[in-house]
Amino acid sequence: MRIAIAAVVGVLLAAGASFGTVQLVDNSQKDPVIKPLYNYGSR
Amino acid sequence: MNERARHLVAALTGLGLGLAALGPGLAPGFVLSYDMVFVPDPAFTALTFGLTGIVPRHVPSDAFATALATVLPADAAQKLVLLAIFVMACTAAASLVPTTRLLPRLAAGVCYAWNPFVAERLLLGQWALLLGYAALPWVVAAAAGLHDPGGGRRLVRSLLPAAVGGFAALAVSALTALAVALVSPGRAGARERAAGAARVVGAAAVLSLPWLVPGLLRPAGVPGDGSAVGLFAARADTPFGTLGSLLLLGGVWNGETVPDGYGAPVTATIWLAVVVAALAAYWKWCREPRWRRGLAAAAAAGFAVAALGAVAAPALEGMIGLWPGFAVFRDGQQYAAPLAVAVAVGLGTAADRAAGARLPGVAVAAAAVPVILLPTLAWGAAGELRAVRYPDDWARARQIIHADPVEGDVLVLPWAAYRSYPWNDGRRVLDPLPRYLHRRVIVDDAVSVGTTDGTTTVAPEDPRAVRLAPAARTGAPPVETLRAEGIRYVVVDAEIGSQRPSGPAAEVLRGPDLAVYRIDGIAASPGDGVPIAPVVAGWGIASLVVFWSFLATGTTLSLPLLGSTKPRSIPPRRRTP
Repeated sequence: MRIAIAAVVGVLLAAGASFGTVQLVDNSQKDPVIKPLYNYGSR
Repeated sequence: MNERARHLVAALTGLGLGLAALGPGLAPGFVLSYDMVFVPDPAFTALTFGLTGIVPRHVPSDAFATALATVLPADAAQKLVLLAIFVMACTAAASLVPTTRLLPRLAAGVCYAWNPFVAERLLLGQWALLLGYAALPWVVAAAAGLHDPGGGRRLVRSLLPAAVGGFAALAVSALTALAVALVSPGRAGARERAAGAARVVGAAAVLSLPWLVPGLLRPAGVPGDGSAVGLFAARADTPFGTLGSLLLLGGVWNGETVPDGYGAPVTATIWLAVVVAALAAYWKWCREPRWRRGLAAAAAAGFAVAALGAVAAPALEGMIGLWPGFAVFRDGQQYAAPLAVAVAVGLGTAADRAAGARLPGVAVAAAAVPVILLPTLAWGAAGELRAVRYPDDWARARQIIHADPVEGDVLVLPWAAYRSYPWNDGRRVLDPLPRYLHRRVIVDDAVSVGTTDGTTTVAPEDPRAVRLAPAARTGAPPVETLRAEGIRYVVVDAEIGSQRPSGPAAEVLRGPDLAVYRIDGIAASPGDGVPIAPVVAGWGIASLVVFWSFLATGTTLSLPLLGSTKPRSIPPRRRTP
């Protein structure tokens, strides 16, 4: 059970660290210039 | 800890992963990304069931989403579906690891719910495919147990999420189940294997009826554009080439739906080491006799199909030329799903060995490494998945159009399938108007993809879009042409002001996000849809089989899938003398 709790806590910590990193990166990006795009995507 | 508690912990872990992955997408509103289109107050229309004559790729997933939205707000229904994908994926993969230890099971569950495949397909908006992906470990277990009492029913139940997902999800699941049924049963004879394969094909065929019938009966026939093979073939998103990227469960055709930062040399190399170690552990230590070889065969077959468009495009084009149905193999990367099951189970098996060798740190690392190596799936895939509200103009347009007693169809301009609305932060999305409005909406269904040579367009499939294309492409279709085609309204949802019907059309709404033009004196809409009776029969047969699958003695709706494998008990520790 302790191992299970450690695993869940580990996953949550990793998710938290990921979340923080992504937030920092996301906030540091400038807004992209929005123009009409009609493609499904680009290879 | 009993089996039910293990499933609960795995489900909660999946829920945590889902909450972390969706992030801002869980706010009120709709997440609109590429193929993911949910709308407020959806209705059951001819489009929902594929009766309008277009290719029914959205059947029955649209019907499922609409049914869910009758009991929940539509945006909440979307979040529920997306979270369910993570919960099911984690729980199903965890249940497949043959151990009673919890941590190795969680390692498999985390790996299966949080990897490049899930990230790329989520960004591409393919929630319906991911529904089938999430339940794939259950399909493996059910296909291996086909000869047990109630095996057929269990297979149908396990295929249900894929059946809801539609043709792509069911194709992947059926391929996996077929490989497991043909290869796995150790002492089964050729006749038993053939019988198992026939039951898989039968179950998949019946569950396919909701989309198969309208697809086959559409007046324009089954489309299959061989030229699109190159567009939707897997591509390299790591330094290890296309095949290496597929092995790492990435390689989606669309370069825009690769998570930020994924494929960097250092993290990609670590992830490669993890995947190779997981596959080695699967082969060496996974001793589950019922599906071990079958899952390996399914993973190999899936990998071969995934690579087909990239390494043997002319062969796939030739196959599509022979029978257009082979177009289902064009978007190859989705067939890497059974490989993802093998990698997840292998990682869980390796973690089990580590835990057995009193190395709990290794087991904990195995559970955490998929998240650590792909951090940009978190927070709505680094902010790519955000909830937005449809503009007020859209609601006003719907009110006006639905209040009109005069029948007639709707044409959407600009003439293109995808949009990047400013109110959706410029993210690409399939035009939501066909689902947003409850009339027949004609929109360009020719898909354009940016390539190094410019833009390549796949031929349109809707016969009415084909007929209207020459006029609509101008941005100012003549009113006379629209009248003859039964077009009552023209809705412009981008480049407002520069596009409108030419001639006597009344502007009934003009806002910053939408303009609506009404045309009077229209002809009756041409009837080129699909006959209703066979489609109703198809739904009836599929529903009866699903109902039958839940009729087994002692079966409940809550846990019919979870007990898919009998966990191997841990041998008691010997005391050293």
